[in-house]
Amino acid sequence: MDRPSHLSVVIDLDPSRWDTLNLSLFLSHLLGFFNAHVAAKHENTLAVFGAFPAKSVMLYSSSDPIAEIPPNDANSYPPFKLVDSTVVNRIARELELIADDDLDAPVALVGALTKALCYINRLTVEANAATTSSTDQSLEPVALPDPRILIVSVSPDITSSYIPVMNSIFSAQKLKVTIDACQISGPENVFLQQATHLTGGSFIYAERQDALLQYLIMALLSPPSVRRTIAVPTQDKIDFRATCFCHKNIVDIGFVCSVCLSIFCQPVPVCSTCRTKFPIKTLQKLNSSRPPLPQSNSSRAPTPSSSSARPSTTPRPPATPPTGSDQRHLPRSVVNGHAP
Amino acid sequence: MAPPKHDDFMDMASDSDNSFDEGLQRKGKGKSKSTDKRKKDQNKRKPKDVQAYTWEASYTRSWEAVREDEAGSLQHAVEDYVARGRRKRLQDPSTAIRRTIIRHLVLVLDLSASMLDRDMRPTRFSLTLQYAREFVLEWFDQNPLGQMGVVGMRAGVGERIGSMTGNPQDVLKAISDRHKLEPSGDTSLQNAVEMARNSMNHLPTHSSREIVIIFGSLTTVDPGNIHETLEECIKSKIRISMVALAAEMKICRDLCVKTGGQFGVALNEGHFKDLLFELVPPPAQRSLSRAAGAGATTTSANLMLMGFPTRLPGASPPSLCVCHSDLKSDGFLCPRCLAKVCDVPTDCDICGLMIVSSPHLARSYHHLFPVKPYVAVESLDESSPTCCGCARPFPTVVSQTVTEGVSPIGRYRCPDCRQDFCSDCDVFIHDVLHCCPACGK
Repeated sequence: MDRPSHLSVVIDLDPSRWDTLNLSLFLSHLLGFFNAHVAAKHENTLAVFGAFPAKSVMLYSSSDPIAEIPPNDANSYPPFKLVDSTVVNRIARELELIADDDLDAPVALVGALTKALCYINRLTVEANAATTSSTDQSLEPVALPDPRILIVSVSPDITSSYIPVMNSIFSAQKLKVTIDACQISGPENVFLQQATHLTGGSFIYAERQDALLQYLIMALLSPPSVRRTIAVPTQDKIDFRATCFCHKNIVDIGFVCSVCLSIFCQPVPVCSTCRTKFPIKTLQKLNSSRPPLPQSNSSRAPTPSSSSARPSTTPRPPATPPTGSDQRHLPRSVVNGHAP
Repeated sequence: MAPPKHDDFMDMASDSDNSFDEGLQRKGKGKSKSTDKRKKDQNKRKPKDVQAYTWEASYTRSWEAVREDEAGSLQHAVEDYVARGRRKRLQDPSTAIRRTIIRHLVLVLDLSASMLDRDMRPTRFSLTLQYAREFVLEWFDQNPLGQMGVVGMRAGVGERIGSMTGNPQDVLKAISDRHKLEPSGDTSLQNAVEMARNSMNHLPTHSSREIVIIFGSLTTVDPGNIHETLEECIKSKIRISMVALAAEMKICRDLCVKTGGQFGVALNEGHFKDLLFELVPPPAQRSLSRAAGAGATTTSANLMLMGFPTRLPGASPPSLCVCHSDLKSDGFLCPRCLAKVCDVPTDCDICGLMIVSSPHLARSYHHLFPVKPYVAVESLDESSPTCCGCARPFPTVVSQTVTEGVSPIGRYRCPDCRQDFCSDCDVFIHDVLHCCPACGK
């Protein structure tokens, strides 16, 4: 660790998951990890973002001045104390502000992730402005070594946010940001797996929640430049499944419009995105060759005609929670209707 | 005419250096005034000559744009550039338009003796190769499902340099060895276009077919009537775009205009690159239909069945792949028949399913769902103290100079979620991120 590194942490703070999860234990593990990062090198920078239901907040950043400085405590190291108390106080305050109707809303993980990217972009621009005074080089991200984002996730995929997540992944690639993910409970998060794979980070599924700090320290504390020399555990399989645009289901075989590459889970006569009409022959062919849909999907999904008659050109986010949650738990062979 | 011009430019360079230094600020200002006057004099004397050459004109414009404010800072000049970018972006339609995303392109390189001309540094040939490599990388970055082939025009024939492939490394390899591409002889436009056309004949109709020609010669030596080739290209809906390095030729412009492509003559090295890179983003489909008349509206779009595979790690137990029968650990599992293939995108050898990696598809989605342009906030009422994206504190003083499209208080507001963003975030969100942090759409 010869060079300072920047770490942005995105914490998934979904209150509905806390019946199975101990929040205070979870936070104490995380704070221990933050302190380890701050202690690893004096110049290390840290930013913490919280994803709450329907909103995302920056909880702490080491570059912005802190409003309230905690009273000195003889038993704690002041920089640690600063991080800990700021993060805990902000989380408590934001949780109080959540309205009751928002409690069931999906967690704004994308908002927190994009804010983290904006923040890293700002650091990059500022670092460039400081080192090179010429304005025309400010777009080259050179001066900030090894920025990385750690996503601590407790919830399953939010299927309606597939496109924003993918856009964030591509901008992370452009900024040369590594995305790590640590998932603590629930089914494996397909989008986070893709994010870590595409940006060269590691995906850790913490099977034992009481050992969270150990997972974090062993696998995710080292900056990406060091990871080449130490064997960091990575995920084994990467699932490249995508979300369909029509019902926000996660599909592994989809019907794709050749013009705009929109993905649909069943043959549709008209593309809802670019309004291309597909030849009727193709539809008949695809319908006949299509594997039979599982019962859970066909009973719940609207008919293709109703989805194509929708007037808007962009798919709206569904008002109800995404429908694909049951399907995801099924083994893949059942979803296809194909036993291998 | 030329020497004072040169002086102006030198002054400008030193000014912009000085303005970062508070101590030298007055000196810089004095200079800028005097040079302003000198320029006015020139304008009076020879108003037409000032705009004579494009490169001179662009110097004049940038000189006018970079101007210090009362405090000697260049901030407004910088903001002005940002504003210009914003305005350019506002002109783009924010609604979804139809673009051809599965593209097939043949890059035709002129390898005739005229490419040894030194009017572009170091030579036209070296520069073309260098830009062609950058073009290939950028093109595959933005069109991950596209395929590209390379054809050379040398010694009066068309020469296949690289066949159609979806792998940028293969294309780069084909044009990496400059000794194999050493220019000689004459150019034959017809031979090269015919060769490119034949290599795209078998393609499905829903994909786009394009030819991009970098043309350095002023002649073409053809075995037959090139206008027949042009008719054939129109019939098979091939779009020809061309960047000429020497001068405009009637037949070149005809080829481009009649097939719905773009034609440009490079003025200098930078302009050459601009012209070439304008061909990178996927073309909107309406221009194709306009060029080819009413018949093209039936460009058969199709619904394709695609599978999204699971990638096996390098540590998994080795098994035979179905494409090469090699024993290896990593690979991709076809979601339908669970056969293992080496690489994507490909067609499964067992069940014929088209296997693509979903991130490849997702790379183009920002074209479909662009972020709405943010509105420049004019007044300080009900605005938050920090940027919603990067938490940078906003300036609280209202700046005096008013430019269209630039907020005097540095705030840009999303029309949907009413959150404010700083200008850096505004540019970043619209150019890179393609997703509003506050409303997530």
